[in-house]
Amino acid sequence: MIALTHVTKLYGSVIGVNDVTVELGTGAYGLLGPNGAGKTTFLGLVTGQLRPSMGTVLVFGERPFFNARVLRRIGFCPASDLTERNATPQEWVRYLVQLSGFTPAAAAIRARRALEQVGLDEASRRPLGTLSKGMRQRAKLAGAIAHDPDLLVLDEPFDGLDPVARYELVELVRAWSQTRSLLVASHLLHEVEALHAGLAVILGGRLVASGPVEELRRLIDTLPSEVRVVSTNARRLAEVACRNPGVDTLRFIGDDTFVVGTRHPQQMAERIGITAREEGILVRELIPGDRSLEGIFGRLVQLHRGVAP
Amino acid sequence: MTTINTVNTIPPDAMPAADRGGLWPLWSVLAVARFQIGRLLTPPRLALAALGVVFPAAVLWAAESISEDRLSREAGAMILYALIPEAVCMLGLLMTMCPAVADELERGTWVHVAVRPGGRRSLLLGTYLAAIGWTAAVAMSALIVALLLGVIRDGTSLAPVLIGLILLSCIGRGALFALPAVIVPKRALVASVGVALVVEYLAGFIPAVINQLTVSLRLRSLLVKWMGWRREVPIQMQLLIDTNPPWIQVTAVFILAAVLLLVAVLILEWRQFPPSEES
Repeated sequence: MIALTHVTKLYGSVIGVNDVTVELGTGAYGLLGPNGAGKTTFLGLVTGQLRPSMGTVLVFGERPFFNARVLRRIGFCPASDLTERNATPQEWVRYLVQLSGFTPAAAAIRARRALEQVGLDEASRRPLGTLSKGMRQRAKLAGAIAHDPDLLVLDEPFDGLDPVARYELVELVRAWSQTRSLLVASHLLHEVEALHAGLAVILGGRLVASGPVEELRRLIDTLPSEVRVVSTNARRLAEVACRNPGVDTLRFIGDDTFVVGTRHPQQMAERIGITAREEGILVRELIPGDRSLEGIFGRLVQLHRGVAP
Repeated sequence: MTTINTVNTIPPDAMPAADRGGLWPLWSVLAVARFQIGRLLTPPRLALAALGVVFPAAVLWAAESISEDRLSREAGAMILYALIPEAVCMLGLLMTMCPAVADELERGTWVHVAVRPGGRRSLLLGTYLAAIGWTAAVAMSALIVALLLGVIRDGTSLAPVLIGLILLSCIGRGALFALPAVIVPKRALVASVGVALVVEYLAGFIPAVINQLTVSLRLRSLLVKWMGWRREVPIQMQLLIDTNPPWIQVTAVFILAAVLLLVAVLILEWRQFPPSEES
């Protein structure tokens, strides 16, 4: 469905994406990466807004840029909020459907149907400026699906939504992905996980990993992580830590602090905690490995570059 | 890159069933035109349009006050030509055509348009239609108000001439301003004023091949012909008009507009706006 081969996109001297090669078949995918990682550029290339500076982008076997055949099969919901405040959702979606080449009568029917699908039929005649952000997100989604695309591409669709609106939108998108293909860009792992989508992780314009969420989780779990301990008897606790399997590195920072590199940071932290309690050692700080998304990304980059074992 | 085999497989769907007529590009263009007109119906825009409507009448009234008599048909035609097909149309098109792309980028709606099949060209052509429709409506209203003032002798006989010139001015200059709108969207207004001054009012008055490519030459020539002034124009001034029949002048404006729009569409189809340039 989507094939990028050695794709690089440059904005002058700034790199948008860098030498990305990936093939995504039909199905649901999450494009995961922190802000500024190159997700929007990736989606811009896939949705025919941008041309690659180098390499080839194929969607449904064809280049999407300036290609009506491909664009007709793509629905895109950008990250930016709808600033078209005076138009109603009905007018806005009908406009977008007509831009896809439908007759006014067909566009009106499709717009109404899409707004019903996203649960916005009652508010469809209110100006967009009077709707909540969640409702405007739904209106954007309706605009993206009303022309019945084969591939739905969403850029940060859950950004800025309250938990209820987020849950409802996740459900909507998940229902969509049961029958059609989906590509969702997000910087939040749990959002992509909730969609039961495969993952492509992008960082610094590079694709560092791709695959099912479970596989990536397993992969992440095998990457070494650091546990930092500050204690009154750091040497004794370091001795205990070294007895554990899976210790890669250990280094002291002063007399009371040590950092241990391990593939099982959680177990290591638990073991040190138990020992400290049993032997009455005061532990001032016990920080298990960096489980934040940035930390995970960082370790995936290490793996990608061959730094991590 | 670490690649792990994926994932859910869904059989690829066929192309969506089309409720598209054979004229689908036309629907897109008309949709944009309608939407752009809707955007123009705001109090500030309507106030500007009202100003454009009353401005020529105010100037005529002032001219009549100075001359202390009704204006001759010829003088009235000259003043109305300068004020309506030239000034009002030019200003109206600057306000409506120049922001064709910049407005979408600022509103963050460009991306919605760019991912639609033919969305870019529909945006440009639809905005062009809306700009022509809006400006022509303002200019014709200005003409009606000016003629209703009754300060020109036999003023109503000028209406067909000026209506023709208004339409041609809108068609030609709208297309002319489409180029800056797609080449330098964020400086389109400044660039268009420059284009208007350099192309229309400088090159247009150079008695050489270059003025054949301007709308102003065609409009002047048509004004002279339709007003029957050919013999009254001094020999030096005849260099500034084209003596070919009116149908050639009209055709030239249409060809010029078509070529300019084609170039603008091709440029826009090929343009890319990095995400940072949007809103």
